[in-house]
Amino acid sequence: MKYEKFFELAKEAGIEESQLYISRSYSLSFSLFHSEVDKYSTSTSLRIFARGIVKGKVGTASCDVWDLNKAKYLVEEIVRNAKIIENDDPAFIFEGSPKYKKISTFNKELATISIDEKMAKLHEIEQAIRNYDSRIVEVQTVQYSESENALTIMNSKGLKLVQKSNYFAYVGVALASENGQVKSGYDVFLDNDFHKFDVQKLASSIGKITVEQLGGEPCLTGKYRIVLSPDAVSSLIGAYISNADAESIQKNASLFVGKLNTKVASRKVTIEDKPLLRSIFARWFDDEGVATYNKPIIKNGVLQTYLYNLTTAAKDGVNSTGNASLGAKMSVTPFYLTMKPGKKTQEELFNEVGNGVYITDLSGLNAGLNPQSGNFSLQSTGFLIENGKRGRPLDLITVSGNLLTLFNDISTVGSDVKCFGDGVSCPSVIVKKLSITGK
Amino acid sequence: MISKKLAIDVLNESLSTGADYAEIFFEDSHSLSISIENGKVDTSSSTSLCGVGLRLLKENQCVYGYTNDLTKKGLLSLAASLKKSFNGERIVTVNTLEMVRCKNRNIIKKSYDDVTREEKIALIKEGTSAIEELKDPRIVRYIGGFSNSHRIVAIYNSKGKWFTRDTEFARLYYSVIAMNEKGIETGFEGPGCQEDISFFHSDKINPRKSALKAAKVALMLLDAKECPSGLMPVVIGNGWGGVLFHESCGHPLEASAVSKGLSCFTGKEGEFIASPLVSAVDDSTIPNAWGSIDIDDEGNLGTKRQLIKDGVLTDFMIDDFNGRRMSREGNGACRRQNYRYCPTSRMSNTYICNGKSTPEEIIASTKLGLYTVGFNGGSVDPSTGEFNFGCSEAYIIRDGKICEPVKGATLIGKGFEILKKIDMVANDLDLGQGICGAASGSIRTNVGQPTIRVSEVMVGGQGGELK
Repeated sequence: MKYEKFFELAKEAGIEESQLYISRSYSLSFSLFHSEVDKYSTSTSLRIFARGIVKGKVGTASCDVWDLNKAKYLVEEIVRNAKIIENDDPAFIFEGSPKYKKISTFNKELATISIDEKMAKLHEIEQAIRNYDSRIVEVQTVQYSESENALTIMNSKGLKLVQKSNYFAYVGVALASENGQVKSGYDVFLDNDFHKFDVQKLASSIGKITVEQLGGEPCLTGKYRIVLSPDAVSSLIGAYISNADAESIQKNASLFVGKLNTKVASRKVTIEDKPLLRSIFARWFDDEGVATYNKPIIKNGVLQTYLYNLTTAAKDGVNSTGNASLGAKMSVTPFYLTMKPGKKTQEELFNEVGNGVYITDLSGLNAGLNPQSGNFSLQSTGFLIENGKRGRPLDLITVSGNLLTLFNDISTVGSDVKCFGDGVSCPSVIVKKLSITGK
Repeated sequence: MISKKLAIDVLNESLSTGADYAEIFFEDSHSLSISIENGKVDTSSSTSLCGVGLRLLKENQCVYGYTNDLTKKGLLSLAASLKKSFNGERIVTVNTLEMVRCKNRNIIKKSYDDVTREEKIALIKEGTSAIEELKDPRIVRYIGGFSNSHRIVAIYNSKGKWFTRDTEFARLYYSVIAMNEKGIETGFEGPGCQEDISFFHSDKINPRKSALKAAKVALMLLDAKECPSGLMPVVIGNGWGGVLFHESCGHPLEASAVSKGLSCFTGKEGEFIASPLVSAVDDSTIPNAWGSIDIDDEGNLGTKRQLIKDGVLTDFMIDDFNGRRMSREGNGACRRQNYRYCPTSRMSNTYICNGKSTPEEIIASTKLGLYTVGFNGGSVDPSTGEFNFGCSEAYIIRDGKICEPVKGATLIGKGFEILKKIDMVANDLDLGQGICGAASGSIRTNVGQPTIRVSEVMVGGQGGELK
């Protein structure tokens, strides 16, 4: 059945304007354990999110099967849901931006590479991790996954936008042991250009990350000068930038309230949202159909903009920044958050710190990091920095602080940019001071 | 639902290349979520989820796929695609499917489908009104929400079994953001159940109580000092405190980790892994509890699994597939979030059993330490046993008395070490409702325990040494 039928039914039911967001996906993944395929998964799936305006209020409903019954379900639920809404938010179904800058996020070649070739690389990774070091006692899993997605937004105002994208990922998790201590480590490669993938590079990285942690013990509790690895920065930057959500600002519940065009971070910090940068995260329209654009959010420490969708923009009398993100309520998201690198290598950062702590990874973000208060207290792994060089590994430590203070305390930004699967790319940074709990 | 005849056809198509087990998981679910922000209904959203997951096993290999195309053609095409993973001769044929019947312990007297949106709104507003009545200018944003799901599942497998599960569950939650010149703090409270709406109107659990609890925590944290750090005795409150056991011990006792030798508890059955004061169970048979299931995704009946008895490791959460590597049958622990996830061994209602002390005795016998009663959750690496969990509400204990509140406490350690350091267990067992995320998606699990004391835990915080 054609999707247009939904708009007919919606009109008949008194829904003034409506929109469908249709996501059609194909995915494949397989993993090895002890050189045998232990899991193989494939799927084709559909998700349809519908929004409609009834007497100025927005109702939403979603489903994953498309037939007349489900189209009727969406219409009925939109009407029932819209009826009970009491907020005074202006409601929009968007007619379209004057211009869109389309960029390609689909690599046709990925589908032409055989499963055998993709599988062969997985075997190579497993073997290369095992060969990396005799202390690697197990490869917990190596996994290949790929996904293709076609996102369509169409609405009663005649807007129809389609973006196809795909990516693949190789992941490995290893276990190393020495003197009764066990450590695990993992790394991921993510792209949509298969030729960029280097088995040895990923396997060595997984081996290195795992083995290097052996022999770790806590450092003394105290305040230290810190180098945060790109991994550690990537764990914090999203929560920090979530404070730029215009709705939180309008509701007076953000660390950035009243801070537009003022300093919210050290002048070394420039953070941009780059939806139009050619990457697997690229998006040329947001979830309301508004054209996206690259923009600094924080430039040299100064907050340049809040992130808007159509509703919050109308409340502030500004234009949407093209960051709408679908949910029960339209929220916002940066699509590709990038932190501008500096010039110094990681070794030069260690040298600049002299004596301190290098944090490589932060765990327990769901429990130990509160984006709203900015407070965090997180289980961490890392190394001592002694006399300008990376020293012994650290085990079972926590690092605590506040995001606002941390980003203001960044004294140097490194050149070693790394890109992460959640749409973040960032380098290492030096933080003047953070509390570490050890022994 | 799909017909038995079609199910048999799809199973046999799946098995034609040598799989030794095949299983169809059909799901037709719907849910409704309503939220109220600063007193006004802000969102109302309906979701329908309908699809089929197909799983084929051959020895230690698992093949999984899912589709929304529920036609005969769609299902046979999924089977044809998955069976390509194997290239042997057929070893199993399904001729008939017999229905497995099980006791329904999770009876819902009145379906949430028959509760109007207006009644649900009234329920949420009982709590949000209580927050408004506080008239506290420090509360800048408060959200109340109610969501309920009705899940109908039918499973057909090559052991010739088929069965259905019809479950309903609901959750009421309040989230409060408070602000003063020192900063912003948040509070959250979210009770849930597999019972009808009357559950939310008891003396113990009701909207006012939950909403005021969330507000109290947010306001209390505004003026709380930073938590001191270092090794210290920690008294962990009952109910939600069980998240410590869930992370540090529950996950490493799941067959998904144990069967491959990837758990710190692999091969430790019969050994002391905890203090002799500790007995723990995973019980999916508690009537109407948040994590209960009558029958699991492999057709094994829900059971009460004694994981630890007087400190000795006695059992695991096992699914049939991972059980193959352990030479064990599944014990009713096979679960998944929905048809998009391949199922695996998971927890249900997991708790430390009552001991003999009283909470008051535990506090009174602690000279200097931390008392934690509210938790944000945590995570664990089952292979190393290293866990963390964050506290949302904590107090310092001085000379056997609960004193000033502190914020920003994170507890870390290795599960197998912490379990041995539990030196007091009280008699006030309670359960707390959580959502647990792992390989087979996000599922409902109860955590639980009586008040316990751990003689020494590493506490992370910014408050310097505990004095």
